[in-house]
Amino acid sequence: MKAIEVTNLHKAFGETRAVIGVNFTVEQGEIFSLLGPNGAGKTTTISMLSCLLRPDDGDALILGHSLRKDPMGVKSVLGVVPQEIALYDDLSASENLTFWGKMYGLRGAALKARVNEVLEIIGLTDRARDRIKKYSGGMKRRVNIGVALLHKPKIIYMDEPTVGIDPQSRRSILDSVLALKSEGTTVLYTTHYMEEAQELSDHIAIMDHGKLIAAGTHNELVRIVGEADRITLSLNAESARLIEAWKRTRGVQQVDAEDGNLTLLVDDSNQVLPRLFEAAAASDVRITSVDIQEPDLEVVFLHLTGRALRD
Amino acid sequence: MKRILDITFKDLIELTRNRMTFLFLLIMPIAFTVLFGFAFSGGGSGPEDPRLPVGFLNLDGELLSLELTGQLEASTVFRLVVDPEATPEGLEQQVADGDLAAAIVIPAGSSQAAVAGDPVPLTVFVDPSAISGMTIEGDLQAAANRMNNAILTARIVVAVSGEDSAFEPALGEALAAWENPPIRVNDTTSVPAETGSGSQGNSFTHTAPGMMLQFAIAGLITAAQVMVSERKNRCLQRILTTATSRLQILLGHYLAIVILLLGQFILLIVFGQLALKLDYLNQAGATLLVMLTTALCIGGLGLLIGVLARTEEQAIMFSLLPMFILSSLGGAWVPLEITGPTFSAIGHVSPVAWSLDGFQNILARGLGLESVLLPSLALAGYAVLFFLLAAWRFRRASA
Ligand SMILES: Nc1ncnc2c1ncn2[C@@H]1O[C@H](COP(=O)(O)OP(=O)(O)OP(=O)(O)O)[C@@H](O)[C@H]1O
Ligand SMILES: [Mg+2]
Repeated sequence: MKAIEVTNLHKAFGETRAVIGVNFTVEQGEIFSLLGPNGAGKTTTISMLSCLLRPDDGDALILGHSLRKDPMGVKSVLGVVPQEIALYDDLSASENLTFWGKMYGLRGAALKARVNEVLEIIGLTDRARDRIKKYSGGMKRRVNIGVALLHKPKIIYMDEPTVGIDPQSRRSILDSVLALKSEGTTVLYTTHYMEEAQELSDHIAIMDHGKLIAAGTHNELVRIVGEADRITLSLNAESARLIEAWKRTRGVQQVDAEDGNLTLLVDDSNQVLPRLFEAAAASDVRITSVDIQEPDLEVVFLHLTGRALRD
Repeated sequence: MKRILDITFKDLIELTRNRMTFLFLLIMPIAFTVLFGFAFSGGGSGPEDPRLPVGFLNLDGELLSLELTGQLEASTVFRLVVDPEATPEGLEQQVADGDLAAAIVIPAGSSQAAVAGDPVPLTVFVDPSAISGMTIEGDLQAAANRMNNAILTARIVVAVSGEDSAFEPALGEALAAWENPPIRVNDTTSVPAETGSGSQGNSFTHTAPGMMLQFAIAGLITAAQVMVSERKNRCLQRILTTATSRLQILLGHYLAIVILLLGQFILLIVFGQLALKLDYLNQAGATLLVMLTTALCIGGLGLLIGVLARTEEQAIMFSLLPMFILSSLGGAWVPLEITGPTFSAIGHVSPVAWSLDGFQNILARGLGLESVLLPSLALAGYAVLFFLLAAWRFRRASA
C-alpha cells in the first residue's frame, strides 16, 4: 500500500484557484517534498490532505483511508505540523504536549513517558515548565513539531517547519526529520527552500500557481535542464576571439556574455575548466574569477517557469 | 467523553491563570453588592399612580442617558412629564409655580462624559418648601447609583481587559472612581440629596443575587476569550486534525464555563449565607436547582459569545452588551416587582429575570423547591436555545 495517493485534487477560494488537478504518490517510509514559492498552493494541499479543507474535486488515500469517505480514519494515522505555530500560549511546553497527547489518544503513564521523550527529542527538557509565551520563535517551532511526534504516527505532514528561525534550530529540525525517516515514518514536507528539499527528500514535487509542474527524484528533476554545470567567469579584458574559441571547445554547450560576465553551460566542469584556461592563455587573456554551479532545483524552477524560486 | 473532559480541563487551567476571571466572578460582585447594596432598597410600596409629576429634559439623547431615562421611568415616586419644547429655565419656573413637583435636566454630552470618566452633574429643580422634594431626590439618587454601578463595571472591565502589565494600575484607577461617581445629582436648591436608607428587611436579598448574575455574564469575557484565542492561534484547526469531533470540542468548552460559573455561584452563595445573612441553605435543593440551571443558561450564552466573537475585543463587547441589557431588563438593578406588570412581563424575556425569580422565591419569600420549578424550566429552555445556536454557528464556521 502507498502511504499517500493523491488524485486530481482541486480547490478554489472564490476566484483564486489555489490547487489545480494535483496528482502524486508517496511511498511508505520516504520523505516527499512539495517545493514551491509563496502562494503555490502547498498549505492548501496539506489542509485538504488532513481533512481541514474539503476538496472541490478529487480525493486522496492516506494509508488506504479516503479523505472523502473516512476522514476520521485519515486523522487517526496522521501527525500534522502546521505552518503557523498552533500552541496554547498560557500553558507550558509540557502542558501543551500533555494536552495534545490526549487529543491524539494517549493516556496515563504512556502519555507521561512519551511527553518526556518528546521534550528530550526537541531539546527542551529544562524549559518544559515555562509558558509557551515566554519562548523564542525557534523554541516554539520545536514544540510545534514535537506535538506531531507524540503518538508516533505513521505519516507526518510538515508545512514549512523551518520558516523564520535561526540556523541552529533549523539544523536540529532537519536532523529530526531525517531521524523520523530512519524510524520508518513517512514525511510529507513542504518548503520554499530548495536546499532543504534537495537534502531531505527521496522525491520532490515542484509546485507553482496551484499546479505540480514537475516531480521525481532530485537527479530526475535536474536532468530536465540537461545535466549542465553553469560556470560564471570574469576576464581582465574583453575578447571576442576567446569567446569564439570557447564556443568551439569540447564539452561546452553554450556561452553567454553579459556586461563583462560570461556564463557557460558545460557537460562537466571538472574536465572543461582546464581547457578554458588553456584557451584563455593562448588568447593572452586572464581569468579573474570563476564560479561553478552544479545544476540544482533553483535552475530547474527557473527553466520551467522563467522565474526564480525566491523573489 | 474523555476528550470532552480533556478540553474542559485545559480550559479551566487557562481560565484560572487569568486574574481577570477572579476579578469578574468574585471580587467585583462582592464589592458591588456591599457598596451598592443599600442603594437598592427600592423606596416605599406606592399604590396605583399618585406618582408626583416631574418635568424631564434630556439634552443628551445618547445611550447612557436613555438608559438612565429608563431607570427614572421605573420610579415609584414620580412620573416623568416630557415636553419636547421645554427649556431648563421654563422647567424651573414651572416648579416654582407648583405645576411640577420637581424637574430633572440631563445636560448635553452626559453620555460621553460618563464614559470618558468625567462626572456628570444632573440638574434637579425642586420646591424646597415641599416635602415631596426630598423623596424625589432620594429616588433620583438611587437611579443614578444604579447607573453608576453599570458605568463603573464597564469601565473596570475595559480597563483591566487591556495589557496584562497594566492590570493593577487600571484596577486601582477604576476602583478610585467610586469616590467620585460618574453621575452626580446636583441640586440647585437647599434641600440636600439623601440616599434612601434600607428599610424593608435585608436589602441584600435582591442585590446579592442581582450582582452575582450581572457579573456571571461579565465573567463570560474570559471564557469567551479562551475560545477566541484558541481559534486565532490555530489550535482549533489543530484539534480538528486529530480524531476529535466539533461536538466534543463544543461540549468541552461548555462544560468548562458551566463549572466555572458553578464555582462562582457556590462561593458567592456561601459568602451571602455567612456574611450577608441570606438564607440560601434553608432551601438547599431549590437553591441548587436554580444555581444549576442558571449556570447552564449563562454558560450557553458564553459559548455563543465565544463562537461569534472574532477578536478578543469583540468578546468583551459581546459580553458587556448582554450584561447591560439582560441585567437591567431582567431586574438585576431594580426589582421587577416594583416596576409594574408590563415592565415585569417584558423583563422576563431576559433569563436573568427567571433566575432572580428563583432566588427571590427562596430568599425573600422563603418558598421551596416547587416555587423554583418554573424559573428553572425557563432557564433550561434558554440553555438549550443558546447551545443550539452556538452549535449551529460552530458547524457552519470553517475553522
Ligand atoms: N482561506 C483562504 N481564502 C482565500 N484564499 C486563500 C485561502 N487560503 C489560501 N488562499 C490562496 O490560495 C493560494 C495558495 O495559498 P497557500 O497558502 O496554499 O500557498 P502556500 O504554497 O502554502 O504559500 P506559502 O509558502 O506562502 O505558505 C494563495 O493565492 C492564497 O492567497
Ligand atoms: Mg503555506
